[in-house]
Amino acid sequence: MDFPFVREAVKNLFSRSSCDMYPLKPSEAAEQYRGRIEYDPSKCINCHFCERVCAGGAISVVEVPVEEGTQITRTFDLSTCTFCNTCADFCNTHAIKLTKDYHMIGLKEGDLLVSGTFVKVAKKKPAPPPAEAKPEEKAAPAIKPRDDGKPVQDPSKCVYCGICAKKCLGEALTVDRKEKLWKLDEDKCVSCGTCEEVCPKKAIIM
Amino acid sequence: MFKNLITESTAKSPWLFHINSGSCNGCDIELVAVLTPRYDAERFGFKLAGSPRHADIVVVSGPLTQQSLPRTLRAISQVPEPRCIVTIGSCPQSGNVFKGSYSVMAPLSKYVHVDVAVAGCTPKPEAIMDGLVQATEILKEKRKAWLEAKKNGLKDGPKAETEQEVPAAEDVPASGEEVQQ
Repeated sequence: MDFPFVREAVKNLFSRSSCDMYPLKPSEAAEQYRGRIEYDPSKCINCHFCERVCAGGAISVVEVPVEEGTQITRTFDLSTCTFCNTCADFCNTHAIKLTKDYHMIGLKEGDLLVSGTFVKVAKKKPAPPPAEAKPEEKAAPAIKPRDDGKPVQDPSKCVYCGICAKKCLGEALTVDRKEKLWKLDEDKCVSCGTCEEVCPKKAIIM
Repeated sequence: MFKNLITESTAKSPWLFHINSGSCNGCDIELVAVLTPRYDAERFGFKLAGSPRHADIVVVSGPLTQQSLPRTLRAISQVPEPRCIVTIGSCPQSGNVFKGSYSVMAPLSKYVHVDVAVAGCTPKPEAIMDGLVQATEILKEKRKAWLEAKKNGLKDGPKAETEQEVPAAEDVPASGEEVQQ
Protein backbone atom coordinates (compact mmCIF):
# COMPACT_ATOMS: atom_id res chain seq x y z
CA MET A 1 0.00 0.00 0.00
CA ASP A 2 1.21 3.41 -0.91
CA PHE A 3 0.90 6.26 1.56
CA PRO A 4 1.34 9.57 -0.20
CA PHE A 5 3.16 12.43 1.56
CA VAL A 6 4.13 10.32 4.57
CA ARG A 7 7.79 11.16 4.10
CA GLU A 8 7.01 14.88 3.81
CA ALA A 9 4.78 14.78 6.86
CA VAL A 10 7.33 13.04 9.05
CA LYS A 11 10.11 15.31 7.80
CA ASN A 12 8.10 18.43 8.52
CA LEU A 13 7.19 17.18 11.95
CA PHE A 14 10.80 17.42 13.05
CA SER A 15 11.99 20.34 10.94
CA ARG A 16 12.22 23.90 12.21
CA SER A 17 9.31 26.27 11.73
CA SER A 18 9.75 28.60 8.78
CA CYS A 19 8.14 31.44 10.71
CA ASP A 20 10.27 34.48 11.57
CA MET A 21 8.32 34.99 14.84
CA TYR A 22 8.39 38.67 14.06
CA PRO A 23 6.99 40.64 17.01
CA LEU A 24 8.85 38.41 19.46
CA LYS A 25 12.09 38.54 17.52
CA PRO A 26 12.78 42.04 16.23
CA SER A 27 13.79 42.08 12.60
CA GLU A 28 15.98 44.65 10.92
CA ALA A 29 15.25 46.09 7.52
CA ALA A 30 17.54 45.33 4.60
CA GLU A 31 20.59 47.42 3.83
CA GLN A 32 19.68 50.78 2.24
CA TYR A 33 16.01 50.34 3.12
CA ARG A 34 14.21 53.65 2.85
CA GLY A 35 12.04 54.16 5.90
CA ARG A 36 11.28 56.98 8.32
CA ILE A 37 12.74 60.32 7.30
CA GLU A 38 15.30 61.94 9.58
CA TYR A 39 15.72 65.67 9.25
CA ASP A 40 18.58 67.64 10.75
CA PRO A 41 17.55 71.31 10.86
CA SER A 42 21.03 72.41 11.96
CA LYS A 43 22.42 71.40 8.55
CA CYS A 44 19.55 72.84 6.51
CA ILE A 45 20.13 76.04 4.55
CA ASN A 46 16.53 76.40 3.35
CA CYS A 47 17.27 76.10 -0.37
CA HIS A 48 13.78 74.61 -1.02
CA PHE A 49 15.18 71.95 -3.32
CA CYS A 50 13.51 69.10 -1.40
CA GLU A 51 10.06 70.60 -1.85
CA ARG A 52 10.66 71.15 -5.53
CA VAL A 53 11.67 67.59 -6.27
CA CYS A 54 9.05 65.92 -4.02
CA ALA A 55 6.57 64.16 -6.31
CA GLY A 56 3.85 63.76 -3.72
CA GLY A 57 4.16 67.22 -2.20
CA ALA A 58 4.91 65.73 1.20
CA ILE A 59 7.18 68.51 2.40
CA SER A 60 5.81 71.77 3.73
CA VAL A 61 7.54 74.82 5.12
CA VAL A 62 6.34 77.49 7.53
CA GLU A 63 8.44 80.63 7.73
CA VAL A 64 7.85 82.96 10.67
CA PRO A 65 9.80 86.20 11.04
CA VAL A 66 11.47 86.48 14.46
CA GLU A 67 13.96 88.92 16.00
CA GLU A 68 17.17 87.34 14.70
CA GLY A 69 15.89 86.44 11.27
CA THR A 70 13.40 83.85 10.06
CA GLN A 71 12.21 80.83 11.95
CA ILE A 72 11.82 77.98 9.47
CA THR A 73 9.84 74.84 10.24
CA ARG A 74 10.03 72.08 7.68
CA THR A 75 7.55 69.22 7.99
CA PHE A 76 7.72 65.86 6.23
CA ASP A 77 4.37 64.10 5.99
CA LEU A 78 5.13 60.38 6.04
CA SER A 79 1.56 59.59 5.10
CA THR A 80 2.08 61.33 1.76
CA CYS A 81 5.67 60.24 1.25
CA THR A 82 6.59 57.69 -1.42
CA PHE A 83 9.99 57.08 0.21
CA CYS A 84 11.70 57.61 -3.15
CA ASN A 85 14.78 59.21 -1.53
CA THR A 86 14.79 62.05 -4.08
CA CYS A 87 14.74 64.77 -1.40
CA ALA A 88 17.75 63.20 0.32
CA ASP A 89 19.56 62.78 -3.00
CA PHE A 90 19.09 66.41 -3.88
CA CYS A 91 19.93 67.79 -0.45
CA ASN A 92 23.27 69.51 -0.82
CA THR A 93 24.01 69.61 2.90
CA HIS A 94 22.77 66.07 3.67
CA ALA A 95 20.20 67.36 6.13
CA ILE A 96 17.65 64.74 5.04
CA LYS A 97 18.20 61.04 5.56
CA LEU A 98 15.91 58.05 5.09
CA THR A 99 16.58 55.62 7.92
CA LYS A 100 15.97 51.90 8.21
CA ASP A 101 13.19 52.42 10.75
CA TYR A 102 9.99 51.02 9.27
CA HIS A 103 7.74 51.21 12.37
CA MET A 104 5.50 53.95 11.07
CA ILE A 105 2.07 53.57 12.57
CA GLY A 106 -0.32 56.44 13.04
CA LEU A 107 -3.04 56.12 15.65
CA LYS A 108 -3.92 59.79 15.71
CA GLU A 109 -3.25 62.86 13.65
CA GLY A 110 0.34 64.07 13.79
CA ASP A 111 1.83 60.64 14.46
CA LEU A 112 3.20 60.43 10.95
CA LEU A 113 4.84 63.85 10.79
CA VAL A 114 8.56 64.51 11.02
CA SER A 115 9.50 68.13 11.50
CA GLY A 116 12.40 70.33 12.44
CA THR A 117 12.78 74.00 13.26
CA PHE A 118 15.72 76.34 12.94
CA VAL A 119 16.30 80.05 12.85
CA LYS A 120 17.97 81.44 9.79
CA VAL A 121 19.95 84.51 10.75
CA ALA A 122 19.32 87.33 8.33
CA LYS A 123 22.01 89.47 6.62
CA LYS A 124 24.84 87.89 8.58
CA LYS A 125 27.25 85.29 7.30
CA PRO A 126 25.42 81.97 6.77
CA ALA A 127 27.19 79.29 8.76
CA PRO A 128 27.45 75.96 6.89
CA PRO A 129 29.45 76.21 3.62
CA PRO A 130 32.84 77.89 4.42
CA ALA A 131 34.42 74.71 5.79
CA GLU A 132 34.05 73.10 2.38
CA ALA A 133 35.00 76.19 0.45
CA LYS A 134 38.58 76.49 1.63
CA PRO A 135 40.27 73.52 -0.10
CA GLU A 136 39.01 74.75 -3.45
CA GLU A 137 41.29 77.76 -3.27
CA LYS A 138 44.21 75.75 -4.59
CA ALA A 139 42.28 74.54 -7.62
CA ALA A 140 41.54 78.02 -8.87
CA PRO A 141 44.16 80.46 -7.66
CA ALA A 142 43.08 83.29 -9.92
CA ILE A 143 39.57 83.58 -8.53
CA LYS A 144 39.20 83.42 -4.80
CA PRO A 145 36.07 82.09 -3.14
CA ARG A 146 34.13 84.63 -1.16
CA ASP A 147 34.11 84.70 2.59
CA ASP A 148 30.34 84.53 2.85
CA GLY A 149 30.06 81.25 0.91
CA LYS A 150 28.33 82.72 -2.10
CA PRO A 151 29.29 81.65 -5.63
CA VAL A 152 31.95 83.37 -7.74
CA GLN A 153 32.19 83.02 -11.50
CA ASP A 154 35.42 82.33 -13.38
CA PRO A 155 35.02 84.29 -16.63
CA SER A 156 37.83 82.36 -18.35
CA LYS A 157 35.96 79.06 -17.93
CA CYS A 158 32.36 80.21 -18.17
CA VAL A 159 30.53 79.58 -21.45
CA TYR A 160 27.35 81.39 -20.34
CA CYS A 161 25.17 78.35 -20.91
CA GLY A 162 22.69 79.48 -18.26
CA ILE A 163 22.28 76.09 -16.56
CA CYS A 164 23.18 77.61 -13.20
CA ALA A 165 20.49 80.27 -13.61
CA LYS A 166 17.92 77.62 -14.57
CA LYS A 167 18.78 75.46 -11.58
CA CYS A 168 18.96 78.31 -9.07
CA LEU A 169 16.05 77.92 -6.72
CA GLY A 170 15.92 81.46 -5.48
CA GLU A 171 16.31 82.86 -9.01
CA ALA A 172 19.36 84.71 -7.77
CA LEU A 173 21.39 84.27 -10.95
CA THR A 174 20.99 86.13 -14.23
CA VAL A 175 22.90 84.84 -17.22
CA ASP A 176 22.81 86.42 -20.64
CA ARG A 177 24.61 84.54 -23.35
CA LYS A 178 24.74 87.34 -25.94
CA GLU A 179 25.98 90.00 -23.57
CA LYS A 180 28.25 87.59 -21.66
CA LEU A 181 26.66 88.61 -18.42
CA TRP A 182 26.70 86.62 -15.18
CA LYS A 183 25.05 88.41 -12.29
CA LEU A 184 24.35 87.31 -8.75
CA ASP A 185 21.59 88.76 -6.62
CA GLU A 186 23.16 88.50 -3.18
CA ASP A 187 19.93 88.96 -1.25
CA LYS A 188 18.24 86.06 -3.00
CA CYS A 189 21.22 83.67 -2.81
CA VAL A 190 21.09 81.10 0.00
CA SER A 191 24.53 79.59 -0.82
CA CYS A 192 23.09 76.14 -1.41
CA GLY A 193 25.84 75.15 -3.83
CA THR A 194 23.51 73.98 -6.58
CA CYS A 195 25.03 76.26 -9.21
CA GLU A 196 28.51 75.01 -8.42
CA GLU A 197 27.35 71.43 -8.72
CA VAL A 198 25.50 71.78 -12.01
CA CYS A 199 28.15 73.89 -13.80
CA PRO A 200 29.48 71.69 -16.65
CA LYS A 201 32.66 73.80 -16.96
CA LYS A 202 33.34 74.07 -13.23
CA ALA A 203 33.38 77.82 -13.64
CA ILE A 204 31.64 78.52 -10.36
CA ILE A 205 33.63 78.52 -7.14
CA MET A 206 32.22 78.63 -3.67
CA MET B 1 -21.66 32.08 30.20
CA PHE B 2 -21.91 31.57 26.47
CA LYS B 3 -21.60 35.31 25.92
CA ASN B 4 -18.31 35.37 27.78
CA LEU B 5 -17.04 32.45 25.76
CA ILE B 6 -18.00 34.17 22.54
CA THR B 7 -16.39 37.49 23.46
CA GLU B 8 -13.19 35.78 24.56
CA SER B 9 -12.89 33.70 21.45
CA THR B 10 -13.74 36.53 19.06
CA ALA B 11 -11.02 38.63 20.65
CA LYS B 12 -8.52 35.97 19.65
CA SER B 13 -9.67 35.67 16.06
CA PRO B 14 -9.95 39.10 14.47
CA TRP B 15 -10.80 38.36 10.88
CA LEU B 16 -9.68 40.70 8.15
CA PHE B 17 -11.57 41.99 5.20
CA HIS B 18 -9.34 43.48 2.55
CA ILE B 19 -10.62 46.21 0.26
CA ASN B 20 -8.53 47.25 -2.71
CA SER B 21 -9.74 50.70 -3.70
CA GLY B 22 -7.60 51.18 -6.78
CA SER B 23 -4.29 50.18 -5.29
CA CYS B 24 -1.23 49.43 -7.42
CA ASN B 25 -1.12 45.93 -5.84
CA GLY B 26 2.05 46.75 -3.93
CA CYS B 27 0.32 46.93 -0.56
CA ASP B 28 -1.93 44.00 -1.46
CA ILE B 29 0.92 41.58 -2.00
CA GLU B 30 2.54 42.77 1.23
CA LEU B 31 -0.70 42.02 3.08
CA VAL B 32 -0.73 38.55 1.52
CA ALA B 33 2.90 38.17 2.58
CA VAL B 34 1.82 38.81 6.17
CA LEU B 35 -0.41 35.73 5.96
CA THR B 36 2.30 33.47 4.56
CA PRO B 37 4.19 30.99 6.82
CA ARG B 38 7.20 33.29 7.06
CA TYR B 39 5.34 36.06 8.90
CA ASP B 40 2.43 33.84 9.90
CA ALA B 41 -0.19 36.31 11.07
CA GLU B 42 -2.50 33.40 11.86
CA ARG B 43 -0.59 33.05 15.12
CA PHE B 44 -2.65 36.06 16.22
CA GLY B 45 -5.83 34.71 14.69
CA PHE B 46 -5.82 36.93 11.62
CA LYS B 47 -7.56 35.36 8.68
CA LEU B 48 -8.88 36.81 5.47
CA ALA B 49 -12.66 36.70 5.49
CA GLY B 50 -14.54 36.32 2.25
CA SER B 51 -17.41 38.56 3.23
CA PRO B 52 -17.41 41.90 5.04
CA ARG B 53 -20.14 40.58 7.32
CA HIS B 54 -17.71 38.06 8.80
CA ALA B 55 -14.92 40.55 9.43
CA ASP B 56 -13.75 42.52 12.47
CA ILE B 57 -10.94 44.50 10.90
CA VAL B 58 -11.25 46.25 7.55
CA VAL B 59 -7.98 46.70 5.71
CA VAL B 60 -8.09 49.36 3.01
CA SER B 61 -5.41 49.90 0.40
CA GLY B 62 -5.40 52.18 -2.60
CA PRO B 63 -6.14 55.86 -3.20
CA LEU B 64 -9.97 55.52 -3.28
CA THR B 65 -10.79 56.13 -6.89
CA GLN B 66 -14.07 57.74 -7.77
CA GLN B 67 -15.45 54.40 -8.94
CA SER B 68 -14.33 52.46 -5.90
CA LEU B 69 -15.27 54.95 -3.17
CA PRO B 70 -19.02 54.19 -3.00
CA ARG B 71 -18.27 50.47 -3.09
CA THR B 72 -15.60 50.80 -0.40
CA LEU B 73 -17.97 52.69 1.87
CA ARG B 74 -20.74 50.19 1.25
CA ALA B 75 -18.43 47.31 2.13
CA ILE B 76 -17.23 49.12 5.27
CA SER B 77 -20.81 49.81 6.38
CA GLN B 78 -21.57 46.09 6.04
CA VAL B 79 -18.88 45.18 8.57
CA PRO B 80 -20.68 44.76 11.88
CA GLU B 81 -19.80 47.04 14.80
CA PRO B 82 -17.49 47.04 16.71
CA ARG B 83 -15.07 47.20 13.83
CA CYS B 84 -11.61 48.57 13.28
CA ILE B 85 -10.43 50.27 10.12
CA VAL B 86 -6.78 49.96 9.11
CA THR B 87 -5.26 51.72 6.12
CA ILE B 88 -2.13 50.38 4.47
CA GLY B 89 0.33 52.63 2.70
CA SER B 90 0.28 56.29 1.86
CA CYS B 91 -2.54 56.13 -0.69
CA PRO B 92 -5.68 55.87 1.48
CA GLN B 93 -4.31 58.48 3.87
CA SER B 94 -3.45 61.19 1.41
CA GLY B 95 -3.67 60.02 -2.20
CA ASN B 96 0.11 59.75 -2.38
CA VAL B 97 1.41 60.86 -5.81
CA PHE B 98 -2.12 60.68 -7.22
CA LYS B 99 -3.17 63.52 -4.92
CA GLY B 100 -5.08 66.21 -6.78
CA SER B 101 -6.28 63.92 -9.54
CA TYR B 102 -9.90 64.35 -10.60
CA SER B 103 -10.64 60.69 -9.94
CA VAL B 104 -8.90 60.23 -6.59
CA MET B 105 -11.04 60.75 -3.51
CA ALA B 106 -8.49 60.11 -0.72
CA PRO B 107 -8.11 60.53 2.23
CA LEU B 108 -10.36 57.88 3.68
CA SER B 109 -10.51 59.73 7.00
CA LYS B 110 -12.74 62.28 5.28
CA TYR B 111 -15.54 59.70 5.16
CA VAL B 112 -14.96 57.28 8.06
CA HIS B 113 -12.90 57.22 11.24
CA VAL B 114 -9.58 55.48 10.57
CA ASP B 115 -8.23 53.70 13.64
CA VAL B 116 -4.76 52.67 12.53
CA ALA B 117 -2.73 54.07 9.65
CA VAL B 118 0.33 52.14 8.52
CA ALA B 119 2.69 54.41 6.59
CA GLY B 120 5.07 53.31 3.89
CA CYS B 121 5.02 52.90 0.17
CA THR B 122 4.69 50.00 0.50
CA PRO B 123 5.02 49.21 4.22
CA LYS B 124 7.08 46.19 5.16
CA PRO B 125 5.09 43.11 6.23
CA GLU B 126 6.50 43.66 9.71
CA ALA B 127 5.01 47.15 9.80
CA ILE B 128 1.64 45.83 8.65
CA MET B 129 1.82 43.20 11.38
CA ASP B 130 2.52 45.92 13.96
CA GLY B 131 -0.49 47.84 12.70
CA LEU B 132 -2.77 44.82 12.86
CA VAL B 133 -1.64 43.93 16.36
CA GLN B 134 -2.31 47.56 17.34
CA ALA B 135 -5.76 47.21 15.74
CA THR B 136 -6.64 44.17 17.85
CA GLU B 137 -5.89 46.18 20.98
CA ILE B 138 -8.23 48.93 19.79
CA LEU B 139 -10.82 46.32 18.87
CA LYS B 140 -10.69 44.85 22.39
CA GLU B 141 -11.42 48.24 23.94
CA LYS B 142 -14.18 48.93 21.45
CA ARG B 143 -15.78 45.59 22.17
CA LYS B 144 -15.67 46.27 25.91
CA ALA B 145 -17.40 49.61 25.45
CA TRP B 146 -19.90 47.98 23.14
CA LEU B 147 -20.82 45.29 25.68
CA GLU B 148 -21.23 47.85 28.42
CA ALA B 149 -23.50 49.94 26.26
CA LYS B 150 -25.62 46.89 25.55
CA LYS B 151 -25.92 46.25 29.26
CA ASN B 152 -27.16 49.83 29.69
CA GLY B 153 -29.84 49.23 27.12
CA LEU B 154 -28.28 51.02 24.15
CA LYS B 155 -28.95 48.72 21.23
CA ASP B 156 -26.76 50.49 18.70
CA GLY B 157 -23.75 50.57 20.98
CA PRO B 158 -21.86 53.58 22.28
CA LYS B 159 -21.66 56.68 20.19
CA ALA B 160 -18.20 57.90 20.93
CA GLU B 161 -17.06 61.23 19.58
CA THR B 162 -14.62 59.58 17.23
CA GLU B 163 -17.28 57.30 15.77
CA GLN B 164 -18.64 58.56 12.52
CA GLU B 165 -21.57 57.32 10.55
CA VAL B 166 -20.51 55.82 7.26
CA PRO B 167 -22.12 58.03 4.62
CA ALA B 168 -24.45 56.17 2.29
CA ALA B 169 -22.91 55.43 -1.08
CA GLU B 170 -25.47 57.61 -2.86
CA ASP B 171 -24.66 60.64 -0.70
CA VAL B 172 -21.02 60.71 -1.70
CA PRO B 173 -20.36 63.51 -4.20
CA ALA B 174 -19.52 62.28 -7.64
CA SER B 175 -16.34 64.21 -8.38
CA GLY B 176 -13.21 64.93 -6.42
CA GLU B 177 -13.38 68.65 -7.09
CA GLU B 178 -16.68 69.03 -5.28
CA VAL B 179 -15.20 67.53 -2.14
CA GLN B 180 -12.26 69.90 -2.12
CA GLN B 181 -14.46 72.99 -2.12
